[in-house]
Amino acid sequence: MKLSLILATAALVGTSAFAMQVQAQDAPVNLTWQMWGDQSDQALWQSLADLVTQEYPNIKVTPQISGWTDYWTRLPVLASSGEIGDIVAMQSMRMPSFYSILEPLDAHFATDSFDIKAFEPSIVSGLSHDGAVYGLPYDVGPWLVFYNRDMFKAAGLAEPAMDWTFDDFKAAADKLTSGDKFGYATQAFDYIAGPVAMGAEYFNDSNQFDLTNAGYTAAVGKYVDLTAVDKASPVFASGASAVQASGRFASGNAAMYIDGPWSMISAAKGASFEMGIAPLPRGDGPSRFITAGSGFGIAAAGQHKEEAYKALQVLTGPKAAEILASAGRALPGRLAEQHFWYDVAAKDVKGTRETLEYSFAHATPFRLNDTWNEFENLITQYMPLALNGDNTTDGVLADIQSQLP
Amino acid sequence: MAVVERIAATRAVTRKRKNRLDRGEGRTAFFFLLPSLIGVTLFLVVPIIASVVLSFTNWKLLGQPQFVGFANYIKLFTADPQFWPVVRNTLFFTFEYLVLNIIISLGLAVWISSLKMGQRWFRVIFFLPTFTPGIAVAIVWMLIFAPGGFFDFVTGSLAIHLPNLLTDQKLAMQAVIIVSLWAGVGYNTVLFNAALDMVPASYMEAARIDGASAWDRFWKIRLPLISPTLFFGTVMTAITSLQVFDQIYVMTRGGPGSATATLGYSIFQKGFQNFQMGYASSIAWVMFAMIMALTAFQFWLQRKWVHYDN
Repeated sequence: MKLSLILATAALVGTSAFAMQVQAQDAPVNLTWQMWGDQSDQALWQSLADLVTQEYPNIKVTPQISGWTDYWTRLPVLASSGEIGDIVAMQSMRMPSFYSILEPLDAHFATDSFDIKAFEPSIVSGLSHDGAVYGLPYDVGPWLVFYNRDMFKAAGLAEPAMDWTFDDFKAAADKLTSGDKFGYATQAFDYIAGPVAMGAEYFNDSNQFDLTNAGYTAAVGKYVDLTAVDKASPVFASGASAVQASGRFASGNAAMYIDGPWSMISAAKGASFEMGIAPLPRGDGPSRFITAGSGFGIAAAGQHKEEAYKALQVLTGPKAAEILASAGRALPGRLAEQHFWYDVAAKDVKGTRETLEYSFAHATPFRLNDTWNEFENLITQYMPLALNGDNTTDGVLADIQSQLP
Repeated sequence: MAVVERIAATRAVTRKRKNRLDRGEGRTAFFFLLPSLIGVTLFLVVPIIASVVLSFTNWKLLGQPQFVGFANYIKLFTADPQFWPVVRNTLFFTFEYLVLNIIISLGLAVWISSLKMGQRWFRVIFFLPTFTPGIAVAIVWMLIFAPGGFFDFVTGSLAIHLPNLLTDQKLAMQAVIIVSLWAGVGYNTVLFNAALDMVPASYMEAARIDGASAWDRFWKIRLPLISPTLFFGTVMTAITSLQVFDQIYVMTRGGPGSATATLGYSIFQKGFQNFQMGYASSIAWVMFAMIMALTAFQFWLQRKWVHYDN
């Protein structure tokens, strides 16, 4: 009986080795694609996966979709257990924590003289680490001010100029605040994107957190005062802040909030008023904006890197960009296809093209390091203390700084 | 003499036969238990051992772990500015929640057992939150307590000037405790109610005839008789409240500031958000030690107040 078992095992190993050999020649290759999204996105991502098979009939891409929050808990677990698959979706802000699981793409670019210039440069650098590109972007966007045009008109305010200053923003927020209506609804990320637009830096020259420097504390302080002193915005709660600001904006309870093009189409659809977008307000110096976006990379531990590279080019190619842009899912990282988003998905929102082109023209590198997640979590957790007056801005920033490595 | 020997011999034979039977049944039992044994080993024993090992490394989920000795524990007790506030928050939550939970659930149990009709209905109503998923409960309460939410509307219309619960440093923990009570009181209520119903009616009747007041009957007869159940409820509630996580994850994320950061939430934050698995494991072991110590203390204390019939 034992002998027969051994023979059976040997036969099994033999046939699978043979099967592998056959596969290596030309048989279909199955690629797994780790992606985030909700139910409504599934058909969209599947249509992108189908594009790959249309272009390369022997490659079949299977998306494995999980929710946004779960994705980032699953990813390191999948990576450390060797189950990560072949193509991995990555967001620019998470790149410093995750670049090690991805394959640097520069060597692949050299093989087919790939034109990386077709992509918006700020997001290419966002998906790079130490000078090496680790992912190709499918979307990009700067943080922007979403505003309620009807409320601006009713208050007799002029629409924001491209280079409006923080003082203009504050004046508008104060004027739009009355009764139970707020001029602005603040949330955690405002204390990162806002100060940068005003010229402040949260890092020192060696890319380490330096939150107590005069420029950053002053800029954060100005944003804090809008809530703590002027009461032009409600305090956000550390639990689920993002939903609150967009919810207040959609219901007409707040006239402005800060978000990105990735939420713009759904915000415009959910609003019963006319919506406009403006760049973030600048400080005394010229405007400058950070951008973020997401893309796809090749898993460093993948078995089919050549095929994954081919699939990657289709998934971030012109046709895929057109599909995602027209559906309003993403402002493409590909410059030539951005017009599909401007002209199809975003045609009802005032000033989209001008504002975004202005923002991209004034983009500044988004500086990150490998403890970025901790910083973002701490901002969410501690900033409410400054907003409700339990602590000063300086006190909160010093507290956060003391907890960062 | 011969009779005694014969009896002894028979006993020896039966013992032998029984042993053989035991061995046969033992093997069968082993195979029946094997699935759960494998499960327990794979999903409980191995992870527990792994987390001990991990707590002595600097594993960041990605890459190779390196052995760092007691560095995680030293950092935890001496360098981490957040550790002691987190321990304080956890103990504060446990103490307040435990006391309120026991008082409220005992009160409800006594009230329900005194009802002439509808006992069963009330038991079901109070038990409902126990089988409602904790995350769903926390989300609904978060929406109620959110700034400008239903709770603010109610206090506002009653002209009560209260800061928003979730954004106030002192009140945030109270909000978490309210939600935990809502979700957790039902289980103890049903438990204590069942125990109260087991108190023999004859004892109560005898006490009544002897002229004991309702107050005395409760404190001197019913409470001592249900004290083993009360003890069980207290120990289990203390253990679960030291591990509190769901409500905090949904409602406050440990904020505002560190007002609601507890050990359970800190383990999640360090391990799965900051990817410091080694460090998170060391916090988990400190939490385990705390739960052990507190439970041992409760067992020691039970000699003073728990009455067993035998």
